[in-house]
Amino acid sequence: MLNLAPYPTVLKPYGRAFVELARVREEILCLSGDLTRQTEIDLFQEEFPERFIHAGMAEANMISMAGALARRGFMPFVHTFGVFATRRPLDQIVNCVAYPNLPVRIVGFMPGVSSPGGPSHQAIDDVALMRALPNMTVVDVADATEIRQAVVAIADVPGPVYLRLKRGEIPIIFDHHHEFSLRHAHVVHDGQDVVIFANGMMLSSALAAAQTLEDVGVSVAVVNVPVIKPLDRQTIIETAARARAVVTAENHSIIGGLGSAVADVLAEEGLGRRLRRVGLADTFAEGAQSATWLFKKYGLATQDVVDAGWQVLGRDGVAPRAPVLHTPPGEYAPV
Amino acid sequence: MESSQVRELERAADLLRLRAVRMVAPHGFGYLGQVLSSAEVMAVVFAEGFRPGVDELVVSPGHYIIVAYAAGPELGLVDEASLATYGQDGSALEAIGTESSPVADITGGSLGQGLSSAVGLALAAQLRGESDRRIFALLSDGELEEGQVWEAAMFAAHRGLANLIVLLDANDSQVDGPVSSITTLEPLAAKWESFGWAAYDVDGHDVRALSHALGEALTQDRPAIVIARTSTAHGLSCLPEGADGHFIKISGDLIDAALAELEARRA
Repeated sequence: MLNLAPYPTVLKPYGRAFVELARVREEILCLSGDLTRQTEIDLFQEEFPERFIHAGMAEANMISMAGALARRGFMPFVHTFGVFATRRPLDQIVNCVAYPNLPVRIVGFMPGVSSPGGPSHQAIDDVALMRALPNMTVVDVADATEIRQAVVAIADVPGPVYLRLKRGEIPIIFDHHHEFSLRHAHVVHDGQDVVIFANGMMLSSALAAAQTLEDVGVSVAVVNVPVIKPLDRQTIIETAARARAVVTAENHSIIGGLGSAVADVLAEEGLGRRLRRVGLADTFAEGAQSATWLFKKYGLATQDVVDAGWQVLGRDGVAPRAPVLHTPPGEYAPV
Repeated sequence: MESSQVRELERAADLLRLRAVRMVAPHGFGYLGQVLSSAEVMAVVFAEGFRPGVDELVVSPGHYIIVAYAAGPELGLVDEASLATYGQDGSALEAIGTESSPVADITGGSLGQGLSSAVGLALAAQLRGESDRRIFALLSDGELEEGQVWEAAMFAAHRGLANLIVLLDANDSQVDGPVSSITTLEPLAAKWESFGWAAYDVDGHDVRALSHALGEALTQDRPAIVIARTSTAHGLSCLPEGADGHFIKISGDLIDAALAELEARRA
């Protein structure tokens, strides 16, 4: 079952789920790169101070240490913003974590342009960087329900995982019947004209865009793809084969992320479906006052997903308009 | 130290050199200079510090793995016959050490990362209450140019990782030439001391001095570093003047001369 936008929200679903997991998995260590409250691990620090490690503002050292700790039977969860978790210590991730295939969990917050902090803080390439590494599992979840389940699921992955998480108020899109899977993409909604593959913060946009298109008679499938690697090729092939065209939507550069991953599959299978990728169009963003403004400026709004679906089907005329939702405080709606 | 002990350690160092010449010879070039400079340091560590199965060894500059391979037969970690495959296609003895390499514990090679790995191993031992386990990390002076080394140095001192001992081969050699001509690292000992480490600055070819420094380093209540001042040409007088210490070329008559010199000294 799905909630409808605007969605109720919760605070710190990751931090809470992580503490619960740590109660039963004593090998878990928590490393912080000087962003403890911001990455919701103040909860862990309070509960398990002896398993909490301040690595300070030294991400290279933090990642390399995490690799060594994992070699000795610990399961380190490393926390910082996505940019500092991937770009800065990339070589350390390669040599100390990914090549040795160690169970280090790299948790990067503030995906894409969810941060109005400018290029230094906007992780627009983290998925591409992590996806390029052999052995790495890459996860970008959409809501609090998925976060709670993903935290538990990744603990059993034998190799390294990159978990990409939104900060702050997290929407609840799925109810408790939802089952997050590391192996299967999730067909949220089936349809025959266009299929939208989305994940992370863009799933709610995809769902809203699908409703807008359905209202004017376009049949839309929405597939949630929280695990970009290893990719569930089969679901992508099956749903794309049933549709006439494909849209991808990600809060990330269109190069190297979900859009590229789907394009690989379509081309390799010879499916010949036209594809539009919604995401940052090979550009950096800038600092601003609000993420909402950036989502609109860089083509990540619900309307942009609607337009992509409309255009990729070759429809004439103006695409339908996505409704502007009134969002009360404490609730969440896609831009 | 008895003179017979000194003699044994010097012979052990020359055995490392001898095996390194044999490993590099089929290639005609290789990381021989690194063994010439670190032979005494590693001979002393393997004789008096490192306990296989208890302690852990990190070779941060992965190309120094050749010195660990050379010591492998005595440690019971490398079959002596396999040394002949060093660096060959399909060999388990990769020229730049990885975690699949015998003797050492991590993937080295991307310089500046090994100390952090050693810190992680030392922290793991501390968290597990394994107070007897010691972590030895071989570093080279050139890689101190990497900022990550100093991140790790600060963290290690902050956490009081007394089970961590760095062996620094200060051979003043990096790819582009003498380290001192490229970046000023001095004052080395004062730098490490100011970071909260115990530092011992010694002649890295003097086994007595090394043995004493290592003994001190092992009994500190904080991380310790033995700064071994060395030369990439030490112990092989037949090498031509001005040979590139980072990547020594050795072939034909020079191989025979090197083997003869080392075998004579060990006799």
